[in-house]
Amino acid sequence: MGEEILRMEKIDKSFPGVHALDHVDFDLKRGEVHALMGENGAGKSTLMKVLTGIYQKDSGKITYQGREVNYHSTREAQADGIVIVHQELNMVGDLTVAQNIFIGREFMHGPTIDDKKMIMESRKLFERLKIDIDPSARMKDLTVGKQQMCEIAKAISHECKVIVFDEPSAALTEKEIDDLFAIIRDLRKQDLGIIYISHRMDEIKVITDRVTVMRDGTYVGTLITKDCSKEDIIKMMVGRVIYEQPKEKSLVPDDAPVVLKVENLNAGRMVQDVSFELHKGEILGFSGLMGAGRTETARAIFGADPKQSGKIYINGTEVDIKSPQDAVKHGIGYLSEDRKRYGIVVQKTIIENSTLACLEEYMSGISINKSKEKKATEKVIDELNIKTPSSDQPVVNLSGGNQQKVVIAKWLVKNCDILIFDEPTRGIDVGAKNEIYKLMNSLAAQGKSIIMISSEMTEILRMSDRIVIMCEGRVTGEIKIEDATQEMIMNKATRNIK
Amino acid sequence: MKKSKVDLKKLGTQKYIVLIVLIALYIFFCIASKTFRKPTTLISLLDMSFYYVIMAIGVAFPIMTGGVDLSIGTGVICYALFGGTLVRNMGAPVWVGILVAIIFGVGIGLLNGILVAVMNLPPFLATLCTSMITRGLGSMCKATPWPTGQQDGAWFHNIFKITLADNTKIPVGFLIVVAAALIMGYVLNHTRVGRYTLAIGSNKEATMLSGVNVKFYHIMAYVICGLFAGMASIAYASAIPTVQPGTGAGMELDAIGGAIVGGVSTAGGIGTIGGTVFGAYVICLLKVGLPFIGLQAYWQQIITGIILIGAVMIDIVKKRRAQF
Amino acid sequence: MFIVNKGNKSDLGIMKEPGSRSKAGGRKVEKFKNLPFVKKVGFSRIVLTAVLILMYAIFCITIDGFAGKAHLMGTLNYVYFLGFLSLGVTFVIATGGIDFSIGPVMFCCALVSGYCFLNYGMPMGASLLLCIAVGLMFGLFNGYLVAYWSVPPFIVSMASMNIAKGAAAIFTKSMSVSWPLESADGGWFRKLATFNGFPTGLVIFLVAALICGFILNNTRIGRYILCLGSNKEAVRLSGIDVKKWEMAAYVICGVLVGIAAIFFVGVYTTVQPNYGDQYNNEAIAGCVMGGTSMAGGLASIGGTVIGVFIISLLQEGILAYKLGKDVQLIITGIIVIVAVYADVVARRRKN
Repeated sequence: MGEEILRMEKIDKSFPGVHALDHVDFDLKRGEVHALMGENGAGKSTLMKVLTGIYQKDSGKITYQGREVNYHSTREAQADGIVIVHQELNMVGDLTVAQNIFIGREFMHGPTIDDKKMIMESRKLFERLKIDIDPSARMKDLTVGKQQMCEIAKAISHECKVIVFDEPSAALTEKEIDDLFAIIRDLRKQDLGIIYISHRMDEIKVITDRVTVMRDGTYVGTLITKDCSKEDIIKMMVGRVIYEQPKEKSLVPDDAPVVLKVENLNAGRMVQDVSFELHKGEILGFSGLMGAGRTETARAIFGADPKQSGKIYINGTEVDIKSPQDAVKHGIGYLSEDRKRYGIVVQKTIIENSTLACLEEYMSGISINKSKEKKATEKVIDELNIKTPSSDQPVVNLSGGNQQKVVIAKWLVKNCDILIFDEPTRGIDVGAKNEIYKLMNSLAAQGKSIIMISSEMTEILRMSDRIVIMCEGRVTGEIKIEDATQEMIMNKATRNIK
Repeated sequence: MKKSKVDLKKLGTQKYIVLIVLIALYIFFCIASKTFRKPTTLISLLDMSFYYVIMAIGVAFPIMTGGVDLSIGTGVICYALFGGTLVRNMGAPVWVGILVAIIFGVGIGLLNGILVAVMNLPPFLATLCTSMITRGLGSMCKATPWPTGQQDGAWFHNIFKITLADNTKIPVGFLIVVAAALIMGYVLNHTRVGRYTLAIGSNKEATMLSGVNVKFYHIMAYVICGLFAGMASIAYASAIPTVQPGTGAGMELDAIGGAIVGGVSTAGGIGTIGGTVFGAYVICLLKVGLPFIGLQAYWQQIITGIILIGAVMIDIVKKRRAQF
Repeated sequence: MFIVNKGNKSDLGIMKEPGSRSKAGGRKVEKFKNLPFVKKVGFSRIVLTAVLILMYAIFCITIDGFAGKAHLMGTLNYVYFLGFLSLGVTFVIATGGIDFSIGPVMFCCALVSGYCFLNYGMPMGASLLLCIAVGLMFGLFNGYLVAYWSVPPFIVSMASMNIAKGAAAIFTKSMSVSWPLESADGGWFRKLATFNGFPTGLVIFLVAALICGFILNNTRIGRYILCLGSNKEAVRLSGIDVKKWEMAAYVICGVLVGIAAIFFVGVYTTVQPNYGDQYNNEAIAGCVMGGTSMAGGLASIGGTVIGVFIISLLQEGILAYKLGKDVQLIITGIIVIVAVYADVVARRRKN
């Protein structure tokens, strides 16, 4: 690691009602990979957005390469050598890979764009980074993982001295993560300063030199990676130690009835010949890497996406599920990954959202029985501990954790027997997370059956009675919690079945 | 490597399908009606199609940004009326009238661009409003014939059609259409204006984050449309002896329909100029050909509407299938 | 065993504080906005009513003889058909869609059923029903394409518009159709609009508005329409047949357009083919002005009603000022731009 290249001092930023950054410090050396960690809402993305000119700081000083800087746009920051690879893909689907990489800075031949040169330069870039992608392929024809690699290549292709990676591994396969780390090591050798934002402890341990932790918009501290433990970092992130022990033994009896049986489900590339059973009162964990096909399986079962073949049995009887309507009628509820987009109707109130799945039960004649609705909603707000001043608050005003609870509320009001939770605690702070775990356990104890899709190993090990592992569209393993270990799960999650 | 070959095929396919449909339709009409086969029919087809094809080329750009321009129908009439009034009633030379018409078109195009790109109004609504405004403005003029025959200034007709001494007409305008198509095809595929038009339609946010001045290029798409509407108004004035105020609503359907039939996607980000031109000719061919098999003008309105929906539905089915 | 940190801001449940303007005048507005009466009726609706009254006052002062029964009746006559058009399109806009074929479809309804009455001897009652039925058919057509085939609404509107114009022209052989006068055979239908000088049409319209408001706010159809306009996929994933309900919105619109046609000919008698475009914009203007958002999910019947009155009054005023139809077109175009822009700005501020 070389000398300091970037220093952010006492950065302060507020939005109406939220003090997002409270006198935060951060420094970066040449040739170092510096992790930035913290729960959601800690301010990591905000800090980076201030650095790269997307937001303007209220006060504080940013020193880059010895001079004080204050960028007003990403273009400015980019021109100075500071580049950010965003979490969400920012690719133009209908253009080719090469056109995307050089968008905004095309090679010109007079008024004409020199597409040939762009393809050549892209090829050179990919060779240097050891990425195997065809530059003349259309962006939207590539897998998400490949698109992410293009995004990374695009950022690196700018002459930069500092790169920020915001959750880069989210959409990558294990091999692609290895490629990414190789690229990062290469960049480190070239004396670049790299900021790495990630939730994944294992990656932090492998690739980073230092770790800075933020909490609630404040700077908590910086540790040297090889000198600290996971618990040290977690302690800084939450303020207290949280013991997350895996579940030792399942309380679900072996002869519990099978409430859901899926047989030979096929739905495109991502769901191939999937079969499994769900018992009453059980929490079935679905583990696997991004792109394993778990969400696609859930959506196929729920009727949200069409399937090619396969049988579904509920309580022993075969059912025909062609749409979410059918699934809901049979008592299945699905909590999707992206709750804002698929889970809640953001502009509407908690009451309107919570009765959405079973409005027929709240009618008096042709009009909606609003007092009955309100009562049912208030009951479930209480049960779930949803923090809101009133039940007719628009959902958009609630925090992430509480919004997630509203989605759960919807399925509770409907009284589903089978619940599919897809990444139920993603993007939610630790406090709300634990409440949701408590809730899932109590639902299971009441006799409901839960499928829990999760990418967090600790969550899987802590909550599941049994674990199904998927890899590239197939079920690769099914283990009981008492036999499960992280290594076993990871092994099956990455095994390739031919 | 294989993947890119397949892609090229996919991109070009709709363009060639439309061309085949065009030729097949023409043959159909020739078989169905003896009078259709006369060469004068082809000439009159080309004559009345100049303004539609020019409008279609222009409107392809807003559609490729994921928007639309509904003001081109009433706009063409309005610009032709204003230009014509200047020439007929105020004695201005014809080239001034032409210039005014085109500048007016560009101006309204600029207005549309600002409403959509800067003020973020939904494109169909913004341009629906400007179509009302241009209709109102046009209605302030009286019906104006542009100079014809031996009159002073009638030379402008020669841009589109040269009439020889023995009264045979040569549709020179077709060459202009071809030239415009080639130029705009080049603009679309090889210049930043065209590239960013497609990028905006495909993913405006990503394009903006890449440092492109999205507002400028978004407005530019509508300015191009306005420019072509202005040029189309001259072609219209040449084809229709007297321009009537209050007409024009409905012409945009034919132009937009032509572009969509030719492969421009309403979602934005996809389209070719060649396909647009072929699609526009399909629509015009129907307009001219249907009366020959006994279906009067209003049938053409209905059929164009149905074809438009059909073309979009095909586009949607293709997209659905591609998802799997 | 776990101990949880409950000190987070996010535990309060509320993430956003409403943005309040810092200027002194702004504070007064905020105070006014928070009065219980204002909250119940709706701030924008009060502003609109104030605009309406102000407009009327200005017209009365600046135009000789504007205050009086004649102009009032003139305005009301416009309100009847435009009102039903606006009510109809409110449902469509609530789903996040649009329908600007309503003007030509209205004319198509009136032309077809009027032609049947005049030339095929259809009794007036049946003709009125046919009128509504034609509107219903177009509603089904539009709704089916938008909901089940995901054809963009503006394309369906464009196509429908031209199909309506073409079909009407073919049916009536390009001739205009004049519905019977009050004294003539079958002329009793005019009593629906005006009965011995009493504006029955107004009563019917207001009752219809109340029914529409009830449907939108208190029935399943309304709840589903508003929710799917806000987030279609979330509603689908909640187990609701979104296609059915989205189509329902267009069908309701179609029926209301058919009713609008009855009131149009009830007042203006003659309809001709290839007409009707300008009423699209005015209906949409009334709707958006009243607070219905183009993005979908937010609709106000009360606001639509006031918006319709404003547009109708404006139209009457322009006529009284002896400005031409062309000016009216331009003004309406500008009004819609302003109304929609205000909607865009308001939405942006909320986010």
